[in-house]
Amino acid sequence: MSAPVKSGKLAKWAMLIDTTKCVGCLACVAACHNQNELPVTEFFNRVEEREFGCFPNYNRRFLPMQCQHCDNPPCVSVCPTGASYKRSDGIVAIDTRRCIGCKYCILSCPYKARIINKEHGFVHKCGFCAALLHNNALPACVGTCPTGVRVFGDLNDPNSEISKLAASKKVIQIGKDLNTKPSIYYIIG
Amino acid sequence: MSFDKKITRRTFIRAAAGSALASGLSVGAVSCGPKNAQEAADGIKADPDIRKIATQCQGCGANRCGIYVYVKDGRVWKVEGNPRTYNNAGTVCPRGHAYIKELYNPDRIKQPLKRTAEGKYEPISWELAFEEISTKLNLIIMDNGPQSVFWAQYPMANIPLAFRFMHALGSPNTITHGATCFTARNAAFNATCGALPDNDLKNSRYIILVGRNPAAGVKLQQIKDIANAKRQGARLVVLDPRHSETAVIADEWLAIKPATDLAFLLAMLNVIIEEGLYDRRFVEEHTVGFDNLRDALVTYPPEWAQTTCDIPKETIYRVAREFASYKPRALIHRGYHGGYGAGYFNSFQTARAVAILNAIIGNYEAVGGLFMPLKPTLGELEKGGHPAPPIPEIEKADGAGVPGRYPAASYSDGIVQAIPELALSGKLKAGFVNHMNPVRTNPNPERVIAGYKKLELLVTIDCFMSETAAASHYVLPESFFLERDDHVDTVHSGPVGQLTVVAQVVKPMYDTKPLLDIITGLSKGLGIGRYFNFTMDELNTLRLQPFGVKLEELKREGVVEVGPRWVEGFKPCKTPSGKIEFYSDQLASWGLDPMPRWQEPLVTPNPSDKNSFRLIHGKQAIHTHSMTANVPYLMQLSDRYDMIRLWINRQRAEAIGLKDGDTVVIESDIGKGYVKVRLTEGLHPSAVWMPSGYGIFSKYLKTAYGKGINYNDFLNTYFDPAVGHVMSNEIIVRVSKA
Repeated sequence: MSAPVKSGKLAKWAMLIDTTKCVGCLACVAACHNQNELPVTEFFNRVEEREFGCFPNYNRRFLPMQCQHCDNPPCVSVCPTGASYKRSDGIVAIDTRRCIGCKYCILSCPYKARIINKEHGFVHKCGFCAALLHNNALPACVGTCPTGVRVFGDLNDPNSEISKLAASKKVIQIGKDLNTKPSIYYIIG
Repeated sequence: MSFDKKITRRTFIRAAAGSALASGLSVGAVSCGPKNAQEAADGIKADPDIRKIATQCQGCGANRCGIYVYVKDGRVWKVEGNPRTYNNAGTVCPRGHAYIKELYNPDRIKQPLKRTAEGKYEPISWELAFEEISTKLNLIIMDNGPQSVFWAQYPMANIPLAFRFMHALGSPNTITHGATCFTARNAAFNATCGALPDNDLKNSRYIILVGRNPAAGVKLQQIKDIANAKRQGARLVVLDPRHSETAVIADEWLAIKPATDLAFLLAMLNVIIEEGLYDRRFVEEHTVGFDNLRDALVTYPPEWAQTTCDIPKETIYRVAREFASYKPRALIHRGYHGGYGAGYFNSFQTARAVAILNAIIGNYEAVGGLFMPLKPTLGELEKGGHPAPPIPEIEKADGAGVPGRYPAASYSDGIVQAIPELALSGKLKAGFVNHMNPVRTNPNPERVIAGYKKLELLVTIDCFMSETAAASHYVLPESFFLERDDHVDTVHSGPVGQLTVVAQVVKPMYDTKPLLDIITGLSKGLGIGRYFNFTMDELNTLRLQPFGVKLEELKREGVVEVGPRWVEGFKPCKTPSGKIEFYSDQLASWGLDPMPRWQEPLVTPNPSDKNSFRLIHGKQAIHTHSMTANVPYLMQLSDRYDMIRLWINRQRAEAIGLKDGDTVVIESDIGKGYVKVRLTEGLHPSAVWMPSGYGIFSKYLKTAYGKGINYNDFLNTYFDPAVGHVMSNEIIVRVSKA
């Protein structure tokens, strides 16, 4: 996988998740868990499963879910301390030192992407592996996926794969009617 | 985001309330803080001590993926895939990610143990353990001969040490888990084309999976190649009683009745031969027995098969024609455990039919077909002045490879489920078990325990107190894979030879030893020390000698490619005729059917009992055999995703009053258990499907103990007549509401 960072202009990070390729192996969940050094019971991402049809005309789909890094994030507007904030590169981040653990953001997130850290009491969630991006590497969930479900990149680079995919008619954003303007695009197929 | 575990809630609040000092405080022990608040929030430390070490994953044993392990401030942190190793091509599966943390699992065996009373173990020094074991073993060998000793091991890269040790003692009884896993498939490919081929999935245009599910019986390269082939327009057909995780990305799921894959495949062959769709030139030049095969197959048209296998004849005709139309860039996956590895009475002939279907469209050694992996021959210890012990001229106690017993069985894999009987009858008196857990993974645990308990000496070498370890006289703790240097390996060889190696990442945490040191320690008191007077580095250097590759280079890179690349074009087979054998004289000489013909399964659900089902099983991507159930991170996923459930067809379930999530009682003639059900439309009505890998009953494995049940609890002890495999899907159970 090539590094996601385009030199020069400021990035606007986004991800595409192609559910038609997902086999539900949970490698992304386990990779995220390690990268972020999470306690055993805490996870930043998850994979949901849906079933369709009747035997033998049956199919199912896996739906990877995590923080959608909304451009209009409800979690940020409800945060009383400014701990949750939107970065200029599109990442919705949490300054855990300012978080008072009130959980308003957890309630406001329509994607159920935020969790409380039981040991320290702050809220945490997917941060698009900003530490890896800082080192010009891909988020942990992207690199480990065996079937290439996830494409990550910079929407400000018109030539990037993610820019082309995000503009295609095939993609949707989950909860678009909520006007959250997510940075994660899905192919549901 | 990452944070220092030592920071408490209070320091966070203090830091947040503070000023510029805050960021420095919040990273605690680190001397030099991040440059700004943003970096602190991202988990970026200014100077963390991060080391990245190349080694080989041991989270399943089959793939041994090339990985980089990251160590942060002295603690193993995370893992990434080596982009150059063939089996994983840069990716890591969930087990691989989680398994590294087993290093810190408190359930690890921390020093050698000796059983002092039933269920009671006390620490013993290595020296005393070696002395006591070798004294006991010497007496047993004196009274009963060396053939009364066995060594059972999951075939990791270090298995040559086990062979060397046993051969030095004079015993032929080295045994793997093979008979519970894949020996029917291997034997069938050996009989047909001389060896087990690999699949060129990424270049294939039409791929059929028969019970194979690389998305959950994880082989990362295979699922990656299938995804890439599909991107190029390939068609994927999954033949499986259950809608497998690979079926999720397939173009077509054929919900076949379990135990009847052979009927479907015979009908495919029938269509391809009758309609002249095969590769005539290939069949003429490179195969033997076509006329016999044609004669044998006339009785198996799709009209016959559809009533047997529940797939409509139109579908069989269409799939057969489509498959042949892409020749030679079409393939039926060589398979693994699922389908015909060791599942059914007819598995051996099912695998024969798969091998023959591939050959009949001429895909052997063709792009997009099957090919023989280019496995390099490693250098041997002899070259360094360490002569090999002679191979004992005694027959294996389990009858593997013995004419009149299990002639088609693999000599090197043996027949593992024979051990309990051999122990009870007194033929086996002592055993070593390494990195394997037959008490949990073999059929009918009660019988297995009775057998293993009858042994006068049982020594288990493992990192964790498995069921087998908990039945042993001595338990010798092997260093965890991250703590040891181990063998140079060729497991990643495919279209080109690859060398990989297990390299030490961190120093051993406890009083443990690598297998070589354990065997060397044992050998001294057994009078075979002369065969074990080398170090791991010497051994590996000799293994690398033919290639001019330095051990340091291999350890640095994690993988080195050697030898020529695969080129298209038929190569002579290692069969008696040198060709692909549709008709096998060798099988005929052993009294086995020389050609695949329909065989009824051993058992069938009772059609007049609405509670009667065939119990089949399969893997989940997050678990390996019984060895990962105790990994807290993976068991957490099992719970979170409610994966410890028995799958049952919705209509059948509702007919017996079951709702999704109900607990059922499941009974066979040997076992009984309780489990939650998952009602689904994605399963053939005649079967219930159980995820393997649960049902741990060793009380030492605290995370896994008592969670879920295991298909082996319901399986009788069987030996397939050709290969001696377990026939693990020949189970009829009654399922009813608990």
